[in-house]
Amino acid sequence: MDIILIGAILFVCLLLMLTSGIWVALTLTGVAIIGLNLIGNTSIGLLLGTSSWSAMTNWSLTALPLFIWMGEILFRTRLSQDLFEGLEPLLSKLPGKLLHVNILSCGIFAAVSGSSAATAATIGRMTLPELKKRGYDEMMAIGTLAGSGTLGLLIPPSIILIVYGVSAEVSIARLFLAGALPGLVLIVMFMGYTIAWSLLKGQSKKGDEARVYSFKEKVSSLKKLIPIVILIGGVLGSIYKGVATPTEAAAIGVAGALLLSAVLGSFSWSGLLGSIEGAVKNSCMLGLILVGAHFLTLAMGFIGIPNALAEWIATLGLSPLELIIYLTVFFVIMGCFLDGISVIVLTTSVVLPMVTQANIDLIWFGIFLVLVVEMSQITPPVGFNLFVIQALTGKNILYIAKAALPFFLIIGFAIVLITAFPSLALYLPSLMSS
Amino acid sequence: MQTLKRYFYQCSLILSGSCLVMMALLILLQIGARTLGVVIPSSEDFAGWLLSATVFFGLAYTFNSGGHIRVTILLTRLGGVKRRYIENFNVTAALLISGYMMFYCLYTAYESYDYQDVTDTYLVMPLWLVQAPMALGTLFLFLAVFDSFCTALSGKTPNYITHEDSLGNQE
Repeated sequence: MDIILIGAILFVCLLLMLTSGIWVALTLTGVAIIGLNLIGNTSIGLLLGTSSWSAMTNWSLTALPLFIWMGEILFRTRLSQDLFEGLEPLLSKLPGKLLHVNILSCGIFAAVSGSSAATAATIGRMTLPELKKRGYDEMMAIGTLAGSGTLGLLIPPSIILIVYGVSAEVSIARLFLAGALPGLVLIVMFMGYTIAWSLLKGQSKKGDEARVYSFKEKVSSLKKLIPIVILIGGVLGSIYKGVATPTEAAAIGVAGALLLSAVLGSFSWSGLLGSIEGAVKNSCMLGLILVGAHFLTLAMGFIGIPNALAEWIATLGLSPLELIIYLTVFFVIMGCFLDGISVIVLTTSVVLPMVTQANIDLIWFGIFLVLVVEMSQITPPVGFNLFVIQALTGKNILYIAKAALPFFLIIGFAIVLITAFPSLALYLPSLMSS
Repeated sequence: MQTLKRYFYQCSLILSGSCLVMMALLILLQIGARTLGVVIPSSEDFAGWLLSATVFFGLAYTFNSGGHIRVTILLTRLGGVKRRYIENFNVTAALLISGYMMFYCLYTAYESYDYQDVTDTYLVMPLWLVQAPMALGTLFLFLAVFDSFCTALSGKTPNYITHEDSLGNQE
């Protein structure tokens, strides 16, 4: 059968199965089975068995459930509250004041939890009522939350980067380092936009009724930030210094998070069991998707679609830049309907040879992909951050999407930046001892 | 029967959770041992096997509690009978795919047993033993889907939908 026909059939099957609501992981497996049948492969079941086995016995993948567990432990501590109280005095001079607390606490919390929607939920539950009480513009409060909630995807340790790294066979430690600078740049741009917005709208005086903090108070508020800084520093530092692999850093992170919760006085056995339960649920969800994606990649290789695509792109003679532009548009449209993880695993099973063919660095491409997925988190109709904030505020999803639009554009600008200056992503990994 | 089912899903959670804890402890132990200059043989391989056990054992529990993600944007727009039809189609498709997966994961483990295969790691283990969690886990998943399938056939709402709704579209 013609490869274009097979590709078209599989694409239609994939879309039908996904939109009708079949579980993503099972859809990937199902499409792979259909594809292998179409080319008349006779040992599909045996391939499925061995591919499932090799997909899940991967040393670098062990970091995934551990980082998820670490996040689950931290969600059950007073950490988010401490972040809020610790940051507020420090940021009281900036125009926009508490809005920056929204951004920064999301950024920091995202760094340790690795989950975008959960970050928006945890931070938003605390900051949104506070912002409303003090008379901040509601749209801006929601927008900053939606936008900076997505930071969790990029700032290491990021779950989604582990998923990409494992499926694309790229070093996860390098990916983590590559994500750090673009993540910081995003935070700075978010804060810059907030400052500009407050000055323009004359809202910089908002919240002046809040008292002025003395130097001493600022120092004591800094103390609340120490534990979290140590935790992030420990996890990232040990990876950077080459003392620990990402997996080992994740295990240290779990131990550190437990210690932290004990120090903060929020440790309880039921909380520990709850965190294990949450970690099991999320790890199994991601694990089954990875099993499906691994099998789909294998099937795609047998059918030859990725190579055909790569050859086709090569004959078009696109420059890498043009390719990136087309891919961005394509991913943003896909991201409107699919969740981030599905976009990533489908990309790695189909698009990656094409990217390699165009001589695009795979680490850089990972960061690019995560930025695109960040955008997709705040685009309707399917955007997890929008859903979470909808549940928090009870607002219409289109209203929230409109509030998040400036931040969507800022992330888009960040994609332009890392395309124009690839070293933003690639400088830190190049420093790492190999 | 209901009690039995509850035990079944609890069992899936407990097996998976204890593998997760063991994996974390093993890796911490390895880091500790290395600073003392001791090497725990094959600890990375064992961590990998524990990972597969964590993921596969927990599949059934995750399925039942609505943890596996899917695109529900269309379903939530549809009401009543139409939604029921599509849900029945979905759970049937899931039954077929998970059944296929279960059969061949069991077969893979059985074949390793039949050929007396061993792992190619420093500490040699029988391959079927470390593959057993995968085989059992996919069997558990199939049973969980079958449970939901039966519930859907009898006209009731399967557990995964109830839990998904209460989660409110969380990631």
